[in-house]
Amino acid sequence: MGAAALAGTLALTGVTTSLASASTARATSSGSGLSYPAVEKELTAIETPPSSKVALLETGSTLLYPLISKWAAVYAKQHTSISVTTAGTGSGTGQSEALDGAVQIGASDAYLPPTDPKTLLNIPVDISAQQIDYNVKGVPQSTHLKLDGTLLNNIYAGKVTNWDSSAIKALNPGVKLPDQTIVPLHRSDGSGDTFLFTSYQDFQDPKGWVASQGGPNTSVQWPSNPAALAELGNQGMETGCKATPGCIAYIGVSYLNEAIKDRLGYAQILNGDGNYELPTHKGIAAEVASYSSLPASAALSLIDSKAASAKDGYPIVNFEYAIVNEHQRNAATARAVKAFLAWGMDPRYGSTGKMLGPIYFQALSPEAINVAIALLDKVS
Amino acid sequence: MSSGTIRVPGLGGAGGSAGPAGSGSLTIARRRRVADRALWSACALALALVVAPVVWVLVEVVREAVPGWQWSVLWTRSTGAGGGLSNAVVGTFVIMLGVGVLAGGVGLGAGVYLAEIARPSWRTAVLRSASEVLSGVPSIVLGYVGYEALVVGLHWGFSLLAGLIVLSVLVVPYVAKSTELALDQVPLAYREGGEALGMAKTRVLRTVVLRSAVPGIATGIIIALAISVGETAPLIYTAFWSNGYPTGALLHQPVGYLTYATWSFYDDPSTAVRALAFDASLLVVVVVLALIAISRLVVRRAQRYSPERALGAGRRRGGQAGVD
Amino acid sequence: MQGGSFVAGTTGWRSRSRLLGERALAAATAVTAVVPLGALVATVVILVVEALPAIRFNGWHFLVGSAWRPGDYYGEPVRTGGVLHPAGASYGAFPLVIGTIESSAIALVVAFPVAVGAAVLVVEKLPARLAGAIGFCLEVLAGIPSVVFGLWGVLEFGPWLARDVYPILAHLPNIPPFDIFRGNVGHGLGLLSGGLVLACMIVPIIAATTRDLLRQVPGATKEGAVALGMTHAESFRAVQVRWVRTGVLGAVILGLGRALGETIAIALVTGSVLQSATNIYGGMTTIAATIVSLLDSAEGDPTGLAVRTLAEAALVLALLTLVVNIGARLMVRRSARGAALPIGAGF
Repeated sequence: MGAAALAGTLALTGVTTSLASASTARATSSGSGLSYPAVEKELTAIETPPSSKVALLETGSTLLYPLISKWAAVYAKQHTSISVTTAGTGSGTGQSEALDGAVQIGASDAYLPPTDPKTLLNIPVDISAQQIDYNVKGVPQSTHLKLDGTLLNNIYAGKVTNWDSSAIKALNPGVKLPDQTIVPLHRSDGSGDTFLFTSYQDFQDPKGWVASQGGPNTSVQWPSNPAALAELGNQGMETGCKATPGCIAYIGVSYLNEAIKDRLGYAQILNGDGNYELPTHKGIAAEVASYSSLPASAALSLIDSKAASAKDGYPIVNFEYAIVNEHQRNAATARAVKAFLAWGMDPRYGSTGKMLGPIYFQALSPEAINVAIALLDKVS
Repeated sequence: MSSGTIRVPGLGGAGGSAGPAGSGSLTIARRRRVADRALWSACALALALVVAPVVWVLVEVVREAVPGWQWSVLWTRSTGAGGGLSNAVVGTFVIMLGVGVLAGGVGLGAGVYLAEIARPSWRTAVLRSASEVLSGVPSIVLGYVGYEALVVGLHWGFSLLAGLIVLSVLVVPYVAKSTELALDQVPLAYREGGEALGMAKTRVLRTVVLRSAVPGIATGIIIALAISVGETAPLIYTAFWSNGYPTGALLHQPVGYLTYATWSFYDDPSTAVRALAFDASLLVVVVVLALIAISRLVVRRAQRYSPERALGAGRRRGGQAGVD
Repeated sequence: MQGGSFVAGTTGWRSRSRLLGERALAAATAVTAVVPLGALVATVVILVVEALPAIRFNGWHFLVGSAWRPGDYYGEPVRTGGVLHPAGASYGAFPLVIGTIESSAIALVVAFPVAVGAAVLVVEKLPARLAGAIGFCLEVLAGIPSVVFGLWGVLEFGPWLARDVYPILAHLPNIPPFDIFRGNVGHGLGLLSGGLVLACMIVPIIAATTRDLLRQVPGATKEGAVALGMTHAESFRAVQVRWVRTGVLGAVILGLGRALGETIAIALVTGSVLQSATNIYGGMTTIAATIVSLLDSAEGDPTGLAVRTLAEAALVLALLTLVVNIGARLMVRRSARGAALPIGAGF
């Protein structure tokens, strides 16, 4: 298992240190000699549910909530011995409830802080991304504006305030931009999306406002900007952007279809290799594939890969994690947790294209599944 | 009472003889008429502003929920991302029942103690005030404390009991106050009659006093139930949410309820799930309206056979010191 | 506690078991009567204990500062003054406290005249049947769940205000007091929208109390005023207003208490932005809304400081509402003519 070799050597705070290894590794999913059939065989072994009836509780990330709820519903039809109750409360609650043992599975958009107890595992189950939407007069939906981290930084800091400013024009030659005030939207509640968005800005522009207020986080001190608005939840961001001419908003990719339907534009984002990319299945997959080596803890930011293999990659991508305590209350519960999560991340069951396609999620790469299996093995 | 200090605007010291005597008093009379009319117009406007939001909110809920309404939400369980609301409906009624028993019992006891048993003193004044003040503590504060103390502190996990206790603390003051007021209304003659028959005080209390106070106590409990059905903030982090039906377990098993569905589903990407948020709103509003209607029926019935009425006492209802 | 008084009249011929029954009943009800006081004390004590590290770490800055920075959850925690916290953490709740007070103030300014005007009309002019219907309306208004108000505010009322009402307000003459309405009207989620939804929610408590107090004004006094030749409005001012003044003020303060603590609706309608409103339409937040919207993010803080800071915020809110409630009741107890204030939501 090649991934395990990197254990512990990676700083958890960013990708910078992981880049060295990532860029030397080969990008394709067969890079470390793993293939889907191989890991699927291992998954099958874990997927056997316990014989006694077990009720599991899941809570956490609202981004993962629709998917994990669908898993629970489909799974219940196939395996009667495990019932899963799901609730979307937010990543932080998912983490702390899993630690307290109030729930067996905590869903989180972000990996755990390194100071959290070591018995708590973050097990990747799928891959999500984030779109940057806007509502700009006269820019057709087929034109995807080009944006980068520095520009976003300046927009949110209130330094770039109009859509026809030279900074935006410089990135978008030939696009007719209106004289319209930019209204930056941000999340009012604590959110994994805020963590992803501020991470991207911070990585692209390490001297920007994100760093000066303490670094990326699920809730941050936004720069004082009279035009800025806050919105509650992804849906609030989406409907708020729709209702606010001139807005720009970061929204979980599961809302992409919704945003397109509401005639919002979404941007091409500058990736670590200097290309502008869209949050397509292909772009997300390319970004993920560039991380061929994962730390054994699976605590890895997938944002803004600078690996050569990520040249077509969309840069704001993240693992969706199941936060699980190593020590479950009994063997049957442990077995149920493992069986359900293995089934969920399995590209044959919970992570088929049909399941993930509508919300633009991506199945884990064989390498990531391999790391996830090793983490699942610790649960008892 | 304060008639001695009444000033009569627009009238001379002579007062009383407000007739159309001179032209001066005519314009004054007109001005007074105009002022009179202005006041009542303003009041009518105010009344319209009170009624408008009630109608608007109800119409909005109905307009969003009814066109796509499917009865199957009542017998289909939530899947978390769709399905129905039957688990939340059952959970809501279980919570109502639990609060009825817990808050009903404690509130009834507290009301009986304050009205019948304790001799009025600074101690009863403190207990009564504490109950009244408790009713003003924000529900989010109680919910937060319940989460820290019961869910985390006592390791109960998300559970029915944690939710019941927090909600009961929230509504006990209503039951206590309505019980106390209702008991205060029972004529002294009833008690004296009972005791004259040689009944023990407990028996008088049970068979005579409490019985005639039942309507007042019942309205208090019904209002407490209406509040508990509509609350969200104290339950999010205590009873939490579940896709399944309540299992009967008091600890370690979360419970679903309707207001959570509204709070959590209204911003879901799927329109089908968002529809459930409105369905849940409609159901909650229907239950609350039904409870309020029942409380009014209880009051009306009680008035028809009211001892106070027979004794010519003024009408004063327990429980709903404010509204009737 | 005072069980003796109940059993005092017991005479010798009553059976011992009866006496025991009375004692047991007295003791059991005494216990239940202590529950509310116990819950009140427990609430404050638990909040204080929970908040202690945050109180030590945040100091006075918590009440006057405006930055709300959770710090770096992923970095190495730092210890300051004995309290472990993420690097860069700093909490100032001033915008929350101000937002709580501002939104409640708007609610009072709007709800007071509306509620009192409606109550006056109901008592003085409306026939009993119609008055009953209005009473039903008030109960429904008090009974509509907070989350339903929030949903209505977010999807219907707020956007309507921004579209049809605020643009008119924004064009009022640029002189005090109308100049506060100038500025960008936003999209309907913010201070004024929050205040107006709160107003809807506290109208029942003020209206119902005012109505009940007005009904208690003795008929003879009113008749006396009319006999003096006053118009209805004049006699009303001279008699009823004096009679109910203190009680209504008490109810208004109770309404204030409810507005201060309202959570779910305000979280949805104000936009829950962690800042003071830039103008009267601007997004802002309150203490209660912040607790609900940031508890999740706070749970991610490995040092626990963020959660304890929210406990401190809850403590501030609890003390604020306790002072307001106790104040209202003391005032009414001192001077009103036996008028009792309603409790809680206004039922």
